[in-house]
Amino acid sequence: MRIAITGIGAISAIGRNCAETLQSILNEQSGIGAMRVLGSVHTELPVGEVPFSDAELKQMAGVPVNEPMPRTALLGLLAAREALQESGIRNQESGFAFISGTTVGGMDLTEQHWHDYASGQATECIALHEADASTQAIAQHLSPITYHLSPITATPSTACSSALNAIMLGANMLRTGQAKAVLAGGAESLSKFHLNGFNTLMILDHVPCRPFDATRAGLNLGEGAGYLLLEREEDALARGAVILGYISGYANTCDAYHQTASSENGEGAYRAMKGALEMAGLKPSDIDYVNAHGTATPNNDLSESAALTRLFGASMPAVSSTKAFTGHTTSASGGLEAAICVMALQHGFVPANLNWTETAEGLIQPVVHTEHRALRHVLCNAFGFGGNESALVISASGSELSEADLRHRTPAVAVETMDDETMGRYVSGAEARRMTLQTRRIVAAARQVMEQSGIAQPDAIVCATQWGCMAQSMKFLQEMIDNNEQQLKPTPFIQSTHNTIASQIAILTGNHGYNITYAQRPDALDCALNDIETQMSLGYIRSALLLRFDEEVEAWDRVLALTSERIHPCASASMYIKDQQQ
Amino acid sequence: MEQLIEQLKHQIIEALNFEDMTPADIDTDAPLFGEGLGLDSIDALELIMLMDREYGIKLADPKAGKAIFQSVRTMAEYIQANRTK
Repeated sequence: MRIAITGIGAISAIGRNCAETLQSILNEQSGIGAMRVLGSVHTELPVGEVPFSDAELKQMAGVPVNEPMPRTALLGLLAAREALQESGIRNQESGFAFISGTTVGGMDLTEQHWHDYASGQATECIALHEADASTQAIAQHLSPITYHLSPITATPSTACSSALNAIMLGANMLRTGQAKAVLAGGAESLSKFHLNGFNTLMILDHVPCRPFDATRAGLNLGEGAGYLLLEREEDALARGAVILGYISGYANTCDAYHQTASSENGEGAYRAMKGALEMAGLKPSDIDYVNAHGTATPNNDLSESAALTRLFGASMPAVSSTKAFTGHTTSASGGLEAAICVMALQHGFVPANLNWTETAEGLIQPVVHTEHRALRHVLCNAFGFGGNESALVISASGSELSEADLRHRTPAVAVETMDDETMGRYVSGAEARRMTLQTRRIVAAARQVMEQSGIAQPDAIVCATQWGCMAQSMKFLQEMIDNNEQQLKPTPFIQSTHNTIASQIAILTGNHGYNITYAQRPDALDCALNDIETQMSLGYIRSALLLRFDEEVEAWDRVLALTSERIHPCASASMYIKDQQQ
Repeated sequence: MEQLIEQLKHQIIEALNFEDMTPADIDTDAPLFGEGLGLDSIDALELIMLMDREYGIKLADPKAGKAIFQSVRTMAEYIQANRTK
């Protein structure tokens, strides 16, 4: 079967929709500038803001102004609706899935109402904090178009590669017959939380960013959303849809190197790009354009250049990063940039890598001005904290991809609880230096399961969490609010992303395999298991380490007490092995 | 200077969560990164923040930390010369 793209939607600092986005790119008009909406004290930092207030976005999206909705969901809704409307798809009774990656989720509402919660106010916003609440809010507002009151939803949360992982899951769901149409991508608004977090890492440039330039000094944060509507080619043709391009290959790997830095030789990035090409059955010389991750941090651009050089050698295709247009839209970047890649295919151009003037040793030389020419295959990269690396090939003509029936499995080995003595044996005090107690427990459980199953290197590491790494998130948030965004410690931010657990285990065990985290209430476990079963059915993995993680933290428990929601702590690990069924 | 070194060791242990360590375990002249304490780039960011919070020293360029954080002694010398509180 071939996977057709029949609709795209995009919103970012350079446009409210695809038409505006395309115009800005062709005009080489950047959206990065002074902060107007976010309201952070760090006005010295340029950002790629969508230049509308929440109230204005609500008006554009047809959401009542008094309905609480995270900015992530508002941006997501606008782009998701555009992709659906463009595709012309209606009434997908036999299976519509909405897969939307995010990490920030409703953190903006939590920041705004932190003090309100202390006095029992604005409690309707509390449940919107978590990542999946944005996915659900978007899905609910799409239902008049899809006539689908309860679509299949999932929220991959692997930091800055979340949206590409959403697209991969969507493609795999089509290939295993779990859905007839999938809307997949990601959304992320700016928040004070991650602006300050990136600031503690000292990787934010104080002037517009310069990807792959010798003088690059960090990234500018942006916000936005991007989605692709995916269908089987025959379904798209049967309903007379216009096919904009095809998903022909993809891969997700782990760099397994460091929580925030990329390896010098770009191992994870190289493996992701190579894997995507192999699935598509393409040679490196078939790729006409690479939309690089290209954040403009000294480390990313050097590491990505090393990976590109390893893969393409002397025959380097045109490469550019579009982050000098939009800023780094973090979890949304894979969706937004995949949509830009579809525009590039459709209209035959290579987007410019703005602000580039000077090369340096080890860096690839990007395309500086828009080049108009026909493209056959483009590669889109998105890399995240923890070394969660993903790559996607989008083509003018599709590759034939295999299909499979979904088979259900039960775990071969499981560790449900972890006592302190056993934990100490599996994770030393020195290793646990930056871990919360619950993190140390789950790392120990993972190691015990790997030992007992005799599988030291599972093909996949999959984490299911309802709330994510709340202890470190709340620590960073409280310090940020109490210290008025000044003098913050980086470690809690680094450990705050949902993918901390799965990537940390990959780093500790040197595992370069498939690595993903799902954030979902109440059924994160279903999402994670479904992904494992999907990939086993398609023959991509033979073994998978499944992790279940949630932790209590007093500051958030106090807030949740105002609602009917609770965090149910868990730190368990189990190993799934193909063909070992009960 | 010796007093500052002792105080700094306490602050490093706390900032970097070396729970089982005492100041006596840290060699004043041993390298902080690579060998010795075996610190990494996240620790470097924590040390930059430590200097900001405790001594009012702001480093704009993380690369500048490399020379300053060679050992506890080089760090103490830098603090002595540049502290604003």
